[in-house]
Order: sequence, then structure tokens, then C-alpha cells
Amino acid sequence: MLTSDGFAWTNRWHRHHPAEKGLLAGGMLVLAVTLPAPTTAPIIIAVMFVTTVLGAGIPAVTWLRLMALPSGFLITSVPFLALSLNFSSGLQVVFSPQGLEVALSVLLRSLAAVSCLTFLTLTTPTIDLVPLLRRVGVPPAVVEIMLLTYRLVFVFLERAATGHQAQIARQGYVGLRNTLRSLGLLVTSLFQRSLERSRRMEIGLTARGFQGELRVLAPKRSISRARVASAAGLLLGVAAAGLVLDATVR
Amino acid sequence: MTSIALAANGIDYTYPGEVRALKQLDLTIEKGQRLAILGANGSGKTTLLLHLNGTLRPSAGRILIDGRPLSYDRRSLVALRSRVGLVLQEPDDQLFSANVYQDVSFGPLNLGLSEAATRSRIDAALEALRISHLRDRATHMLSFGQKKRVAIAGMLAMQPEILILDEPTAGLDPHGVNHLLSVLHRLHETGTTLVFSTHDVDLAYTWADQIAVFADGTVLKQGEAAAMLADRELLRTARLKMPLILEIAEALYCRRPAWAAIGPPRSKDALLHLLEQTIGGPQ
Repeated sequence: MLTSDGFAWTNRWHRHHPAEKGLLAGGMLVLAVTLPAPTTAPIIIAVMFVTTVLGAGIPAVTWLRLMALPSGFLITSVPFLALSLNFSSGLQVVFSPQGLEVALSVLLRSLAAVSCLTFLTLTTPTIDLVPLLRRVGVPPAVVEIMLLTYRLVFVFLERAATGHQAQIARQGYVGLRNTLRSLGLLVTSLFQRSLERSRRMEIGLTARGFQGELRVLAPKRSISRARVASAAGLLLGVAAAGLVLDATVR
Repeated sequence: MTSIALAANGIDYTYPGEVRALKQLDLTIEKGQRLAILGANGSGKTTLLLHLNGTLRPSAGRILIDGRPLSYDRRSLVALRSRVGLVLQEPDDQLFSANVYQDVSFGPLNLGLSEAATRSRIDAALEALRISHLRDRATHMLSFGQKKRVAIAGMLAMQPEILILDEPTAGLDPHGVNHLLSVLHRLHETGTTLVFSTHDVDLAYTWADQIAVFADGTVLKQGEAAAMLADRELLRTARLKMPLILEIAEALYCRRPAWAAIGPPRSKDALLHLLEQTIGGPQ
């Protein structure tokens, strides 16, 4: 989570309007789900890889690593989709070529979908998507909680990490007994500190005129027509290529 | 006659279940002044600052704004806080937003400014602290010094008449301190009243017009910076020491008593000048 967040804030495209990236990722996702998988999905995966790595400048290794986890789950679960149960003469587990085809297409579709989301997570900070949520009509209170949580998660993680290091420095994790005790102490102290922090933050926000509503302005970012056009072009191209390829294969 | 912007009048405060944090405390802040609240760690400086923006309410005594006692209804407090800006010591206590730009926008929006006005305030505040390049950065990826500047920018964007900073130099490297002081210098020139708490006698001496010497929950004495810091008895009671510049100057007065009449050197350069006269200038 932290690696992808880091890249989301620093990649070449982090200043681009989130809607542009959302259009590309969302559009590709729709294509991945609707068009014939065996031909379109590999194209989508390839295109998303190229845009993420060459376009946004994310290292290929990072992309692969982020793709690896969901892919692992998919690949291990897909073989079972190829099997079907037959009850006509007792219980039989049947492996059919048809089943295999379905399983493969599900695998490809899912991988293509994952590649779209990977692109979005690596290029767009989660928090940039929040204004979009607000526009869609998510209640302000929920949006505010999301904003605060996002910020505080990092404050909390920093605290947890320094606390952990301080304990290691005093041999807190030598042996099972110490480890358990140290962990317990760390958790308790984090609780207390979080409470204390929330009180201080209330003071800090009140000093800034907080009156019950966390209103902020996002940096002004204009939607680039050129980029929207290229995203649309890319989507059309992928769709056309997928369909044509599918027709020729058949 | 100088006009008093904000004052504490005989205030007492006790944290629930704890010892008295403030005792019979008097403090006056004059318009356009640079005031340092100088005291050892744990002497209650932060508690005092929290009274000055109405976060805490004294159990006895009064806070006066423009000579009128502060009332603690919601409206008066909101009005007070739009004039008196408080920057806390720990920037993480004041930054709540995911990126720098959004965070700085918070204060001006709370003042009810329009979007356009808010955007120009943000640009000006970021520029004043020389952090325009950080505008799109994630708050959690900033260094401590950068966070501190963002916290100050967030307050500057509200354009308070009185800016109060709690230990503004704590945790900053020398470059960061110089940078901060130059920002404060420019603010002072545009008429902002500045108050900060510190235990750094050298900083208070070279920077402040007035010093309030603080110890054990009360202001022992408030007055002109050089006079406060030349008072050895006062400094001992407050567990402080004399600024290095003043200490050296006093040693020089022993050799040339006539110089004491010129008045103490206020800066490193003034001290150097004095030293050159003693040893006969550059060879």
C-alpha cells in the first residue's frame, strides 16, 4: 500500500487531472468486461503495462510486483473453474475442454481488469478521487472521514514504526515472551497516543477556524483535451483491435 | 501611546486533576510588537498561548481583546480566532489534509472567503514561506521542517493581526531557523503583531522587542528585551541564562566601563564592532 501511494504522489502523471486517468482506467475496465476476452484482454494488459511504465514512468518491477499478488490468487483458483461436477451417475468430477475455455477467459478478463486498477493505484493518489465522490453525491461527513483517515493512517504508521524501533533498540523482541509483551505495550501506547493526538488536533483545527466542517480546495487542475482525446483514441483502438482479431480467429 | 491588542489579566488555570498551570499571570501584547515569551521547558508557556486564542478558559482573571474582556460564546471565539492565529509546536497537530494546497485552503475557507480569494491567499502564503514548489506534495511525505512551514502557511493564509507561534524554531536546523526568521521579519514589516514562545535566550535577545520572562506558570517580568536579559537575578529565578552576546559585552564593560553607556550590542555584528574597538580593529 505504501509503495503504491509513494508512486501515486510522485509519478510523471501525478499532476494530471484524476478524471483523465479515471477515464482511461475505467474505459479499459469496461472493455475488459464486455469484449471477447481471449483477444481483447491480452491487448489491454499490454497497453496498460506500456502506459504505466513508459507513460507514467513507474518501474516495470513495481508494476509486476503489484500485479503478482492478485495474479497469484487468480491463477491458483482458475483450474477449479475448468472442473464441473456431474451427478448423473453418482458424484463425478469432470474436466471439459469447454470448461477450460471458460476458465481461461475468466482468468484473462480478471488480469486485464487488475491491470487497469494497478494503473490507477500507481498513478493517482486515492485522495484525488475523493472530490469525484463528493460530486457523485457521497455525503460530506463520509468524505471528511475519508480525508482525515487517509492523513491519520500515515501519522499512525509513523508512530507505530518509531515505537517499534525504540522497542527493538531495547531488545524488546528477543524471545517470544518479550515479543508478546512488547507488542501489547506498543498497541496500548498507540491507543493512548491516538486519543491524545485527536485532542490536540482538535485544538489545532479550532485555531484555524474549524466550525464542524472540513472544507478544502483541491489544487486547480485543468482537464487536457489532448489527453482525453488520446485516452478515447486508445480505448477505441483497443476495442477495434480486439473485435477484428476476434473475427479473424473465428 | 501604544495600543494594547491583547492582554491577560491575572489569569489562573488548573488542568483537571493536576497542579496549577498558570498563576496570577499578567501579559500585554502591543500592536505591531515582537514579543518573546521566554521560559524553561514545562513552565506552562503552551498553556498560556492556548488562553490567548480562547482554546482554554481561565478559572480566574480575564483575557482582554482591544481592552474588552473576551466572552466565550461561539461567535466571539470565532471572531477572536480570525484575528489571533496560533501555530502549534507540532505541525502534525495542525495539518489534516492529504496535500499541501488543500491543507492551506482550510483556514481561508473557514473565514468564508470565496474560492478565488482563497486561491490567491494560498498562493501568497505559499510564496511567503517559499514553498510554492511543495503545493502538490503529499503532507505525509514532507520533512519536519517542511511540515512546519506548511502549518505556518496555513495560518498566514488567514491573515491574522496577531500571529502566535509555539516554539517555532524547535526541531529546525540553522538554515530552517534563518528562513523562518526572515519570514517573520517580512510579516512584522507589514504590520503583523508577532508573539512566540521559546527557551532560546539568544534568539529572543536578537529578535524580540519585548520579552516576558516566564517561570512556574507566571510571567515574572515583562519589558524591553535587553533589560530583561541583563537581569541576572531574574534569569536565575527563571532557570535561564544570559545570551552569549550580552555575556561577552558585560565582560568587555569590565575593561572599558564607559562603553556600558552606549547600550548593549543587540546583534552579532554590533558585538564584533565592540570587540574590534577593544583589540584595535583588523590588522
